[in-house]
Amino acid sequence: MIALLVGGVLGWSGSTKLFGRNTPVQASGTVLERKLGGLPRATAALRAVGAAELLVALALVALPVPLATGALAALAGTGFAAYLGYARATAPDSSCGCTARDKAPIGVRAFARAGFVLAGGAVVLADGLAGAGLPAPAGGPWWEALRDGPAAALGLLAAGAVLAWLLFGDPDRAVRLPLRRLRLRLFGHPLHGGPGTAGDPEAVPVEGSVELLERSLAWQTVTHVVRSGLREHWDDEGWRFLRYTGLYDPGRQGADGAEGAGRPVSVVFAMDAKAGLDSPRPPVIRVGVVDEETGERVDVTAGRERPGALLGEGV
Amino acid sequence: MNRTTDSTLDRRRFLSASALGGATVVGATALGAVDPDAAFAAPTPPLDPAVAETSFAEGLITGIDGGTLLHVKGSYGEQHRIQLTNATSIWKLHPTTAEDVETGDGLYARGLEMPDGTIAADAVWVNIVNLDVTVRGIGKDRLALGYHGGELIGRIVPGRSTASYAGAALTDDLSGVRMGQHALVLGAWRPKDGAVDIARITVGH
Amino acid sequence: MACSTNYLWRGEATWFCCGAAWGPCGSAGGGACGNCRSASNHGAWPNASAACWDITRPDLCGEGGIPRRGCGSVMRVVQECSKSAVCITITDCGPRTKSFCGEAACCNGVCRTNRILDLTPAAYSQIASLSSGKTGVWIYE
Repeated sequence: MIALLVGGVLGWSGSTKLFGRNTPVQASGTVLERKLGGLPRATAALRAVGAAELLVALALVALPVPLATGALAALAGTGFAAYLGYARATAPDSSCGCTARDKAPIGVRAFARAGFVLAGGAVVLADGLAGAGLPAPAGGPWWEALRDGPAAALGLLAAGAVLAWLLFGDPDRAVRLPLRRLRLRLFGHPLHGGPGTAGDPEAVPVEGSVELLERSLAWQTVTHVVRSGLREHWDDEGWRFLRYTGLYDPGRQGADGAEGAGRPVSVVFAMDAKAGLDSPRPPVIRVGVVDEETGERVDVTAGRERPGALLGEGV
Repeated sequence: MNRTTDSTLDRRRFLSASALGGATVVGATALGAVDPDAAFAAPTPPLDPAVAETSFAEGLITGIDGGTLLHVKGSYGEQHRIQLTNATSIWKLHPTTAEDVETGDGLYARGLEMPDGTIAADAVWVNIVNLDVTVRGIGKDRLALGYHGGELIGRIVPGRSTASYAGAALTDDLSGVRMGQHALVLGAWRPKDGAVDIARITVGH
Repeated sequence: MACSTNYLWRGEATWFCCGAAWGPCGSAGGGACGNCRSASNHGAWPNASAACWDITRPDLCGEGGIPRRGCGSVMRVVQECSKSAVCITITDCGPRTKSFCGEAACCNGVCRTNRILDLTPAAYSQIASLSSGKTGVWIYE
C-alpha cells in the first residue's frame, strides 16, 4: 500500500508540474529561477522534474519490482532533500516550488515532504529486499495486500492519505481558518475599542494629513522644490505642521541640471490638524519655504507656469 | 521625533511662523498659474531638465560609519554607499532620524550619485514593505496575514497603525478589518522576528 | 509602444517588490515575465496576458477596456498631482484590480479610480513617496 500512496503523491505532484498552467507561478521565487537565469528556464526545469516524478509514480504503482521502484522513490526523496538543502543554504528566502499556492520560504514542512517520499521509498525498497530473507514491511505489491487484507490495507491507505494531506495539502485553510472565524463570532471583533480606537475620535492620523497634503493644490504648487519625504511633523494650536526639505535655485532652475544645484530649503505646510480626506470643505493649507542657511523666506512660485516634474525620469 | 529639545522647539516655532505667514492655498490657483487640465492637454507633460537623474538603491545595511554613511549590500550582490545628510528624510514605520537605522535593516534609497559613487540620499525608506495579503486572523494586537502561501504576523502599533476602507480617509480604527479580505499592507519589516509593523492597511470593498 | 506621448490609460498606481529582495519580498520572484527587479524601473500591468487578466479582472471594476500590453512594453507614467514622470518596462502582472474597485486617489479634487498599475520601488519613488502607498497616475506610451 505504501507504493500506491507514494506513487499517488508523486503522480499528483508530477502531473501538476508537468501539465499545470501555474507551473511558471510555481517556479517564480525558487532558487532555480535565480540560478538558471530566468523564469522560462526554471519553468522548463520544473516541468522536467514533474515528468521524472510522474515516471517514478507510474513505476511505483504499476511495476511489481519493489527493489527497483523503491530505490527510485528513495532516490527522488533524497534528491528533493538535497535540492531543498542547497536552496536553503544559497538562497534562504527562496520558495521551494513544491506547489503554486505555497510561496513561503523553505521550511520544515518542505523538508518533511521530501522525508515522506524518502521514507516511503525506503519502505518499498525494504519490501524488495525481503527476497533476500529480510522482513517485508509493505507486504508485497499493493494489489496483493488489498486482496489479502482489505480492511488493514484501506486503513493504512487512509492514514497515509491524511499524513499526505497534512504535508502536501492546505490544512491551514481547512482547519485553522474556520476555527479563527468561529472565535471571532463567539467573542466579537477584538479590535473594537482596541489600541487604535482609544484616542480622540476626531483626531486625524499624521499619515491622513500627509495624504490630504499630497493630493492638494498646495502640494502641486511647490512640489518642484521638494526632494525628500516627510522629515518631521508637529501640532501647535490646532495647526498641524509638516516639514519637507528640498532644493531651490531660480537662477539655475531649467538651466544646466548640475548635481545638487540649488539652495537647500525647508518646505513647511500648515493645515487644520483635524482636516482629513473626508472633510466637507477643501482644506486650507499654508505654505512657507525657508532657506536653510540664511533663514530667509523664499518665493518658489515666481515665474513658474506649471507644476514641475522635479524628480525627472530614468529608464 | 519625540525628543524635542529647546533648540528644536525654537526652530519649529520659527518654521511654524514661516508657514502660517506664507501663501494660503484653498483649492484654487493662489500661487501662480496651476491648471491640471491644461497640463494634461499636452500629449505628455514636459519634464524639468534642471534636475539631474536620480539614483536608486536597495539592499540590506551591512555597516554604518559615523552614524550617517550606510554600507548596503544589494539583493543581487552589488555594493552601495548611502550618505544620509541633514536634508535626507528617513522613514522607518514613521518619519524618524538616522539614530533609528540599524545594521541588518533593509532599505530603499533615492538620491543623487556623487562622483565617488556614493549616493547622497534625498529619501530613505527603511524596512518598508507594501504587501498584497489576505487577512487570515485578527487578534487584539496583531493580524495574521496570508502572503505568498505563507503566513506573516502584522503587528498593530498603537498610534502608528492606520486603516483605509474602500478608499476612504485614513483612520486609526482597525475594527473594520474582516477575515478573508484582500488587503494592501504598508509597513515596516522587523528583521529580528520577520513580522511587519503595520503603518497602513488598505482594504477594498 | 514606447516612453512617448500617446495617452494609454489613467487610474491608481501602487508599488510592489519583485526579484531577489530582503524581508518578506524575498519570496516574490521575478514576476510573470521572469525579469522583474525592485531596483529597476519596472511595472506590472493588469492585462499583461490572458492568464493575467483572469487574476486581476479590471473589467469587474468597469475598467474592461484596458488594452493588452505584454512583457517588455514601455510606458511613461506621470503622477497626477506633481506631474513628475518615469519610464517603465512591464515585467509582471498586477495589481489585483478587482479587490479594490472604486478606490480613488485624488489631486485637488480630481480623482483617479481603480488600481491599474503596480510599480517597483525604484519607479514609484521617482513620482511619489513609498510611504504614500498609492497615487493617481496618467499613463502614456
